[in-house]
Amino acid sequence: MPVFSYLAIPKSGAKETLCTELANLEHCRIMPADNHEVVVVVTDTPDIATEKVLQETLTGLQSLQSLSLTFGFDDN
Amino acid sequence: MTITIDRRRFIQSAAAGSAIAAAGAIFPGISFGAWPKVAGNTGVVSWQKTPCRFCGTGCGVLVGVVDGRAVAVKGDPNCSVNKGLCCMKGYHSVQALYGTDRITTAKIRKNGEMVEVPIQEALDLVAAKLKETRDKHGKDSVAIYGSGQWTIPDGYVASKLFKGCLSTNNVEANARLCMASAVTGFMTSFGIDEPMGCYEDIDHANVFITWGNNMAEMHPVLFSRMLANRKRRTNVKIIDFATRLTRTSQAADTSILFRPQTDLAVANAICHEIIANDWVNWNFVNEHVSFHKGKTNIGYGTEDHFAFTDQDEAISFEEYKKFLADYTPERVEKISGVPAKDIKYMAALYGDPALKVTSFWCMGMNQHTRGTWINNLVYNIHLLVGKISTPGNSPFSLTGQPSACGTVREVGTLTHGLPHGVVMNEHDRQMAAEIWEVPVANIDPKPTYHTVEMFRALDRGDIKFIWIQVTNPMVTMPNLKRYREGAKKDDRFIVVSDVYPTPTTDVADVILPSAFWIEKEGMFGNSERRTQHFAEIVKPPGEAMSDTWQIIEVARRLGFEKQFPWSKEDYIEKIWEEYRKFHAGPKHEMASYQVLRARSGVQWPFVNGKETRWRFNPQYDPACTNGKDFDFYGKKDNRAWIWARPYEPAAESPDSEYPFWLNTGRVIEHWHTGSLTRRIPVLHNAVPSGYVEMHPEDAAQLGVVNGEKVRIISRRGEIVMPAQINGRGVPPRNMVFVPFFDESYLINEVTLDAFCPISKQPDYKKCAVRLEKA
Amino acid sequence: MMEKKGSEKWAKAVPGLLALSFLGLLLVTGREARSVEGLDNFDHQGKKLYEAGEATPEIYLSADSGDRNLASFYELRQYPGSPPRIPHKVDLSFSGNETDCLSCHAKGGYSPEFGKFVPVTPHPENSLCYQCHVPLTEEKPFVASDWQSIEPPRLGRSFLSSSPPTVPHSLQLRENCIACHTGPGAVAEIRVAHASRGNCRQCHVPAVQTDELREFQRK
Repeated sequence: MPVFSYLAIPKSGAKETLCTELANLEHCRIMPADNHEVVVVVTDTPDIATEKVLQETLTGLQSLQSLSLTFGFDDN
Repeated sequence: MTITIDRRRFIQSAAAGSAIAAAGAIFPGISFGAWPKVAGNTGVVSWQKTPCRFCGTGCGVLVGVVDGRAVAVKGDPNCSVNKGLCCMKGYHSVQALYGTDRITTAKIRKNGEMVEVPIQEALDLVAAKLKETRDKHGKDSVAIYGSGQWTIPDGYVASKLFKGCLSTNNVEANARLCMASAVTGFMTSFGIDEPMGCYEDIDHANVFITWGNNMAEMHPVLFSRMLANRKRRTNVKIIDFATRLTRTSQAADTSILFRPQTDLAVANAICHEIIANDWVNWNFVNEHVSFHKGKTNIGYGTEDHFAFTDQDEAISFEEYKKFLADYTPERVEKISGVPAKDIKYMAALYGDPALKVTSFWCMGMNQHTRGTWINNLVYNIHLLVGKISTPGNSPFSLTGQPSACGTVREVGTLTHGLPHGVVMNEHDRQMAAEIWEVPVANIDPKPTYHTVEMFRALDRGDIKFIWIQVTNPMVTMPNLKRYREGAKKDDRFIVVSDVYPTPTTDVADVILPSAFWIEKEGMFGNSERRTQHFAEIVKPPGEAMSDTWQIIEVARRLGFEKQFPWSKEDYIEKIWEEYRKFHAGPKHEMASYQVLRARSGVQWPFVNGKETRWRFNPQYDPACTNGKDFDFYGKKDNRAWIWARPYEPAAESPDSEYPFWLNTGRVIEHWHTGSLTRRIPVLHNAVPSGYVEMHPEDAAQLGVVNGEKVRIISRRGEIVMPAQINGRGVPPRNMVFVPFFDESYLINEVTLDAFCPISKQPDYKKCAVRLEKA
Repeated sequence: MMEKKGSEKWAKAVPGLLALSFLGLLLVTGREARSVEGLDNFDHQGKKLYEAGEATPEIYLSADSGDRNLASFYELRQYPGSPPRIPHKVDLSFSGNETDCLSCHAKGGYSPEFGKFVPVTPHPENSLCYQCHVPLTEEKPFVASDWQSIEPPRLGRSFLSSSPPTVPHSLQLRENCIACHTGPGAVAEIRVAHASRGNCRQCHVPAVQTDELREFQRK
């Protein structure tokens, strides 16, 4: 069960879009900041395969400017 | 399984935490919040006072309002009840306004379906049906059933309409299920209702004895005041006298367990010891006490049309002493299971002249088939040693609803009651007729049905129209199945005023949307004779209307404009000032509307601008006139009455077929039937479901572990629910405990509708059940 | 198991934390119990604050684990100032006796069980903890709620560019500033760097009021 967290910074003016897109992803929890253009993303996937797919999806999001890893954890 | 989930959640939150910490380092001043935000919030919060909506403690709370919405709560530091501290229900109370299934429009039943209609149309129907039923079936075929959550004006207009205008005494309130025995206890012992002491007793007493009363969960603000006192003063003890171990037992210095119903025997044994050791306060007893006995073998009221009238007979002290001879601690040990040494210990605490003793009780003593008796017996103890009506010496009967005292006991919204006195008394009827501007002949001198009998009458068809406000009898009536079937019968017409859908609105023919708590102006009255005003702080949603105004609308449709002339702008003030006339005089004087508006609660009697904290004591109570150190002016002989009341068994006790006691009650998170607290996310998510609490050995014998289903079967019905073992409460062997807040587990289908023959209050704490693994 | 792994991770992420935790334990055992005042006159407890400050060693005042932050702080609350939920598992039979909650939350320090520094209660005189604080045992609501509240106070709001910020919340039940604003269990964003100065309200003015003010009129 890999668990990761990131700070996601949206492209200018795209915070709402980014939040919607992230919220629609499985294994993904978000916490948008109230007063800054930044979103906390926590992912928790059942296995490595799903994790890989999710990471690809994340980095492929159009509304995303940058994604920085802040925490990682894996049982194995 | 659970461990995995917790672990994942822990790691997830650690992950989120470190991301947020990183964000905080990159963007100073960044903020997050877990709740949805009020749009366009200016940050200016206006704080307004109100009593809490829940229990009878009557904590003052301040509600924070932004843009017409209640957004926060804090304890009211100006309110002497709680001095700025609330409990979890108070702090989250305002969330109960915002469940998304609020009833905001009226609904009427058309061809079996509930259809939304304008509220005026629904009120037309209510008035028409009421009139039609009354014309066709007589004046006593219509009824109103309210509650201790009615505001004082709600109860007052209900009584005025039904008793004064419609000439029926079919006015009852759920407080019958909750403090009727407290009332008859006060009336028989003192001749006047409500506690002589006040919460300040807690700051003076050395010994607290809780009689069947889990105060730590039910009256937590008062309980923590006791704990604070124990910490601050070294000479304070808390004795928990109970039938099961609870959080109160855990915090108490000593916990003494007794078998259900045997509190009667133990109380008598304490008096026996007080006399045997000559701890009697003779100066007090000779001056201020008289001795009496009443009928015995008085029955349990399980049959329809049960009637009982007690008859008092004066006895001498010697006769009383002889009566107590049966109650030696050793003999009572056999009945009660309480070791004789523990009985002697409690007697010694009451008897020690150096100790100030306060007794607290609530439903354990009131929901009791000998509820009036056990109230009398605890007063006996305090009277024998003269520990009463002085700071710290107090037999204190607590209430469970915010206005059980204010609306039901003071306004008299019970079948025999009037705002002053009782319908049986000619003078009281005249007073009511005069103030209400109705002919005195309108007020029927004969009481009709008490609550259990009222629902029996509904089942039988003697009552065909009932209007239920602010309460949920289809969860709370004992032996529930009979009364639900009765309410559903074809030609019964049920009107329900409420704020959320409940099992009671499910049986309604008309649902009226009510304004909730601070969505209207009103007053509550708490356990210590304190009247507490609250203004309309936020607007009611949709067509929701105060219960008072609903009754006024119907009264006017029935042609009583003269009795209900008020305008929407100031009706609460006008009603209060009219009601206040009933209580003129030093024994019961109420504060004016202006004073109530300005203060965080005012204690009555409020005489010459002063609150009365200890009644019957001339140092504090201006109604005392006999020139002595106490004046028990409620009784004609100016004395408090000690009653010889024997131990009699419960209506139904465990036997070989049904070997367990069933005890029911509450938990701190939920209030009553949970229709409000379950809509408060924090509280629901802490205790989301009902359960049956079992002794670990009983559970092992039955072969159930925590969370497994148990079938509870009584002679009335059965229910399947999850077991809780070694939870916050532990019953003794052969007892189970079930909280009643969860409407998906209707435990009252299992309980028995036996009641105290004097108070007519049912016993929810004792009936016999057997258990099966489900 | 969980705790061990969790703390190992933390130890890697924050060097020196283990050393700090050792320090925390020392502090717990080394400090005397605080004197306890009643609830009366809740807003006049400067003495309490003073004593708490006195009793807290300098090093503790400046320690920072950085693992508690405003987001997790507010996530446990329903509105600014509401009693927080209990964020960890509690024993079903947890009684709320002083020995249970206050054994950790009265004085703080490092909890090996949770792998974290414990937040300190600002009102240790209230010992019936479950009167206000509830755990979370179920996430699904009974019915949906339309609850809304206000924004938490913004940080760093001073009236002049260089003046000390005001106290943006009520002091009721939170008179002891150092409980939340100092030490390794403090909330990272609102931790003060100058906790040793002790008398917080010398410079920081509460900007919240309860009673309505009377209109000012010079006679």
